[in-house]
Amino acid sequence: MESTAAITQSTTRTESRQGKLWRIAAIARNAFREAVRDRVLYNLVLFMLLLTGASIFIGELSGGQERKVIVDLGLSAMLLFGVFIAIFVGVGLVYKEIERRTIYAVFSKPVGRGEFLVGKYLGLCLTLLVNVVVMGVGVSLALLYVSRGWDSLIPTIWPAVLLIYMELMLLTATALLFSSFSSPALSALLTFMVFIIGHFSADLKSLAASMGSTSARWLFTGLYYLLPNLANYSFITPASHGRAPSLEFVFATALYAFVYIAVILAVATLVFSRRNFK
Amino acid sequence: MIGMACAALLVHRIDTLRPPEDPNAIDESLYVNGKMARRISLGFNGLAADWYWMRSLQYVGRKIINAQDLPIDRLEQLNLKLLAPLLDTATTLDPEFIDPYEYAAIVLPAIDVNEAIRITQKGIEANPNAWRLYHHLGYIYWQQRDYRAASEMYGRGAQIEGAPPWMEAMKAKMAADGGSRATAREIYTRMYEQSTDEKVKDMAHKRLLQLDSLDQRDSLRKLFAAYQARTGKCPNSWKEIEPVLRALRIAVDASGAPLDPGGAAYVLRAGACEVELNPASEIPAK
Repeated sequence: MESTAAITQSTTRTESRQGKLWRIAAIARNAFREAVRDRVLYNLVLFMLLLTGASIFIGELSGGQERKVIVDLGLSAMLLFGVFIAIFVGVGLVYKEIERRTIYAVFSKPVGRGEFLVGKYLGLCLTLLVNVVVMGVGVSLALLYVSRGWDSLIPTIWPAVLLIYMELMLLTATALLFSSFSSPALSALLTFMVFIIGHFSADLKSLAASMGSTSARWLFTGLYYLLPNLANYSFITPASHGRAPSLEFVFATALYAFVYIAVILAVATLVFSRRNFK
Repeated sequence: MIGMACAALLVHRIDTLRPPEDPNAIDESLYVNGKMARRISLGFNGLAADWYWMRSLQYVGRKIINAQDLPIDRLEQLNLKLLAPLLDTATTLDPEFIDPYEYAAIVLPAIDVNEAIRITQKGIEANPNAWRLYHHLGYIYWQQRDYRAASEMYGRGAQIEGAPPWMEAMKAKMAADGGSRATAREIYTRMYEQSTDEKVKDMAHKRLLQLDSLDQRDSLRKLFAAYQARTGKCPNSWKEIEPVLRALRIAVDASGAPLDPGGAAYVLRAGACEVELNPASEIPAK
């Protein structure tokens, strides 16, 4: 009897887990469709125009460095466009649902607040994934064009693209966290500040080391470890010189992103679950 | 459409009304130095380095536009005071970017040799395996007639894996005979072979032609001396020594004047036993 109860309980748990995943996937799919409907992917057209123009004209301006410029320009535009999407779409993910009052319809169904947030997050991550992959293909095509054939930089840009994607995932989670308790404008501002500070993390560390008082040293050291270290994901310049990161480095940064995102989403869920929509 | 056309016309009109640009504006100091630019570049440092690199090319290009035939290693009269800061910023933003170091090593010595040495040394520190930078630093020292330092640079570069064997040979040549034309020829030949920059190639090519021309002029002076020994006077026109020139298979034009390696006729200083480059010649005079 006891073993039957345990089996029933385990089956129920498995079904519940499957149901949870199914609900998250449905929300993510929906968030992706919404981003496509909102013409978020139209930025790809602008990106392609930028790269095409650069491929044709940069040769005359760069003194024979068109390959390097194409990689720098392409990957920097990928990061910049991605940051804008992560911030401006990310901060509106929850807010729009509250504003349109569609959130009531969502929560009238058996959907947890955490599931809702994670689903929304994954939907935007999927949008960003499509974005960076298409842009990566665009940069590769531009390299093929300027080199009039195979270019040795093509394989080295993809690890950099992966690191950019991880940075965007981190930023999206940050935008979602801020949007779970504040207005879109403030969330966008705060996320942008995190992006800036995240790239200054090395300065925070050296600032901490140069501080005279122990408390200030602790404060800046704490900030260094607390804020996302986005400088770890900057691999655009080495990629333009044909250098790829080691597998160990990619694995460590992926693990860091995973842990950081899990923490941010957990905090966002905690804040969001206490929020009153009335 | 009509609105945009009106806007375009207005822009054109405003352009004509605007006071002329200050010609010194191009030389205005940079607002941010390399370190600051790197700090605020937020991961876009590679792109910013490209921007500064292209800006330095444009800066030189704009100044050189009226001096087409000036070799890029003789730009001292163009007042390129911003070039060193521009190249320094580009290399601080992207320390692995080799081209600005090479450009600094070739172009800057005529403007500010200390900056040229500093930037090239900075490049070596950031890229200790780039043997070409040792070659360029050796070239700067060679230009300064510091053959010992030049030899040391070639020696250090020769030890790097992948460095060509001629680096070791250059080390010995610099130490033994740094001031000779043979060494100069070796340097410019290697520069011509190794560089991917068309302007540097062109400069090296012109310097090689100049060396050929110097050899030719020495030969012509020997001919003048022989002629003077025979006749007791210097030739007053090329016609007087044309048969000898033809016998020695030296290319001459219709007037009998010998041609320099660029194809321009040499100018004879009548009665002075001296030969000069034609002002129209593409061979650099200095």
